[in-house]
Amino acid sequence: MPPRRQPPPASGPWGPRPAVLLLAPLLLLTQQGVAAAPVGAEGPEDSPGLQDAEFPSGLLQQAARAALHFFNFRAGSPSALRVLAAVLEGRATVNPKKGCQVDLVFTTDHYNPEVGEEHLGKCSARVFFRNQKPRPAINVTCTRLIEKNKRQEEDYLLYKHMKQLKTPLDVTSIPDSHGHIDPSLRPIWDLAFLGSSYVMWEKTTQFLHYYMAQISSVNQWKTNDDTIDFDYTVLLHEFSTQEIIPCRIHLGWYPGKPLKVKYHCQELQTPEEASGTEEGSAVAPTELNNF
Amino acid sequence: MPGAPGGGPGPGPSPVDRWTLVVFSFIMATALGQMNFTGDQVLRVLAKNEKQLSVLRDLDGLKPQKVDFWRSPAKPSLPVDMRVPFSELKDIKAYLESHGLAYSIMIKDIQVLLDKEREAMAKSRRLERSTSSFSYSSYHTLEEIYNWMDNFVTEYSDIVSKIQIGHSFENRSILVLKFSTGGSQRRAIWIDTGIHSREWITHATGIWTAKKIVSDYGKDRTLTNILNAMDIFMEIVTNPDGFAFTHSMNRLWRKNKSTRPGMFCIGVDLNRNWKSGFGGNGSNNNPCSETYRGPSPQSEPEVAAIVNFITTHGNVKALISIHSYSQMLMYPYGHSLEPVPNQEELYQLAKDAVKALYEVHGIEYIYGSISATLYVASGITVDWAYDSGIKYAFTFELRDTGRYGFLLPASQIVPTAQETWLALRTIMEHTLQHPY
Repeated sequence: MPPRRQPPPASGPWGPRPAVLLLAPLLLLTQQGVAAAPVGAEGPEDSPGLQDAEFPSGLLQQAARAALHFFNFRAGSPSALRVLAAVLEGRATVNPKKGCQVDLVFTTDHYNPEVGEEHLGKCSARVFFRNQKPRPAINVTCTRLIEKNKRQEEDYLLYKHMKQLKTPLDVTSIPDSHGHIDPSLRPIWDLAFLGSSYVMWEKTTQFLHYYMAQISSVNQWKTNDDTIDFDYTVLLHEFSTQEIIPCRIHLGWYPGKPLKVKYHCQELQTPEEASGTEEGSAVAPTELNNF
Repeated sequence: MPGAPGGGPGPGPSPVDRWTLVVFSFIMATALGQMNFTGDQVLRVLAKNEKQLSVLRDLDGLKPQKVDFWRSPAKPSLPVDMRVPFSELKDIKAYLESHGLAYSIMIKDIQVLLDKEREAMAKSRRLERSTSSFSYSSYHTLEEIYNWMDNFVTEYSDIVSKIQIGHSFENRSILVLKFSTGGSQRRAIWIDTGIHSREWITHATGIWTAKKIVSDYGKDRTLTNILNAMDIFMEIVTNPDGFAFTHSMNRLWRKNKSTRPGMFCIGVDLNRNWKSGFGGNGSNNNPCSETYRGPSPQSEPEVAAIVNFITTHGNVKALISIHSYSQMLMYPYGHSLEPVPNQEELYQLAKDAVKALYEVHGIEYIYGSISATLYVASGITVDWAYDSGIKYAFTFELRDTGRYGFLLPASQIVPTAQETWLALRTIMEHTLQHPY
């Protein structure tokens, strides 16, 4: 049975993150146990015999989501965001002392459903979850769906739309309570999701995974000639604890340039302790050799 | 106003209420055409010490008056809110800055706010007058849903009636719709939606489903057979206090609104408060947690009401509790990985239901036991139902899988309800054909 999921301690070991992000080279593990789980459309019940007793349910999904957050952040392209379609195959190696390595293949959809593009993308990834610690190490490769130049063109179009928005932005929440996002504000959502992807990757563990629920406020929106300066507060939904976590994110973006992200999240308040915070910042690497 | 909090112990007028009062009086003033607040702003100032506070108090003493305090200078730890007329803005801000007082702009233009409020109020008055045009493809407030229920019961009084099964913590009515073609204490199916208030798609699906049931009776053979032999109970707003709160203050509120003396945080997770595996892994005893189980099983009035109703009824044969999001159809247990005795039957039934759902709009659901498919959760509705002898206990997690999550666009209400209906009907038909 999966270990009890307590909310993370208010003032925990999560110190400030290093300013520069690098792909962590994967460690070689002693093989403790291998489980191969071919996944069909039906669900986990179809291959019960192959599930290791220590498998948290949905480990493959967990790994796929983490890999995608990381991929989206690294790509730095709000017009080319991907979401998980399905896990095709996967295999996990569990080392009770160190953590858990997952190798998997999954398909992706375009994040923005309005885009007519039909193709599913395909990615293969190796994800290493360190025991009880967030920020899984990820190596992910995806099929090239769109030429680099074309992608930059799309991003530049988005940038031009953003520049045309009237500042200061007269918005409160995106989407509103009814789930509606004004089409003119869609680029803001996409850019916010890009920044949030970094945060969500950093916070993901074997057991915790996040979705971006809502932009609760736009604190600053500046469109200079060489950057978009975007300071916003986002509400992340952590699924296993069902908590809503407000994160203040400050990002700098320009088409073709690496994404810069700084953030500060507010963690669960306990009656005794004051609310803790979690911080991080990064600049996406410029070398994207599998793109 | 239906559903307004009754005589229960409550907090004093909150700062929000005071603001509402002030804004309302402004609306009245502008309605009478007397005053215009274009460009006026409300600034919030935080004084760090007594010296800074007295600087603010000096403003109050100025004649002619330059600012209007909505929240007067009291103590250094409390914010000071002041309305500053447009003509005075530059001077006042310079004054604050020169004294090192930090301020933020709470309202950028009061007139804009007043215009919006007036428009919203006029709009809601228009809606009330045309209740027959209730939109099944929009999200609604608690008052709108309760009004709709009354109209619905009147219009379909041969099949539907309304039962009050209790009161919420803030004293709102807890209502259940009963669909019955006669008989006495027939075998029954229970459906609840909205136990977690932020899952708005569930209430909307419940409402659409209610309409579907009355519309299809006499037309759809399966549904007609079901209703000719069994009753259906539907509780649409299972957590009315939480739901009202998602409209008024916090769209992402999940729990109910109960408090106890000395408790720092509000609300119990109603889907952890049931008497089955209560207190286990997958629930939390921290009142500030979203999965706080409450002090004891069934401590919450919203849960106790259902337990009493179903236990007293004594003949409920299927229970379906509807949540969002994740696109899953699941059966017990949540509190452990131990399979239930009729696990094989429930697995097959879930498989059939999900297939029927898929055929409507191609949406894929996964299925299995709660603990294996979603996560370990203790003290949940369906575990209690199953342990109380209800063999067909299911829980849905409706659309989507995270793109919009709780904030599912209203345009997806009808498609979601349409596909969910096919799954519900599959489960109900199986229950009909397998009496026990």
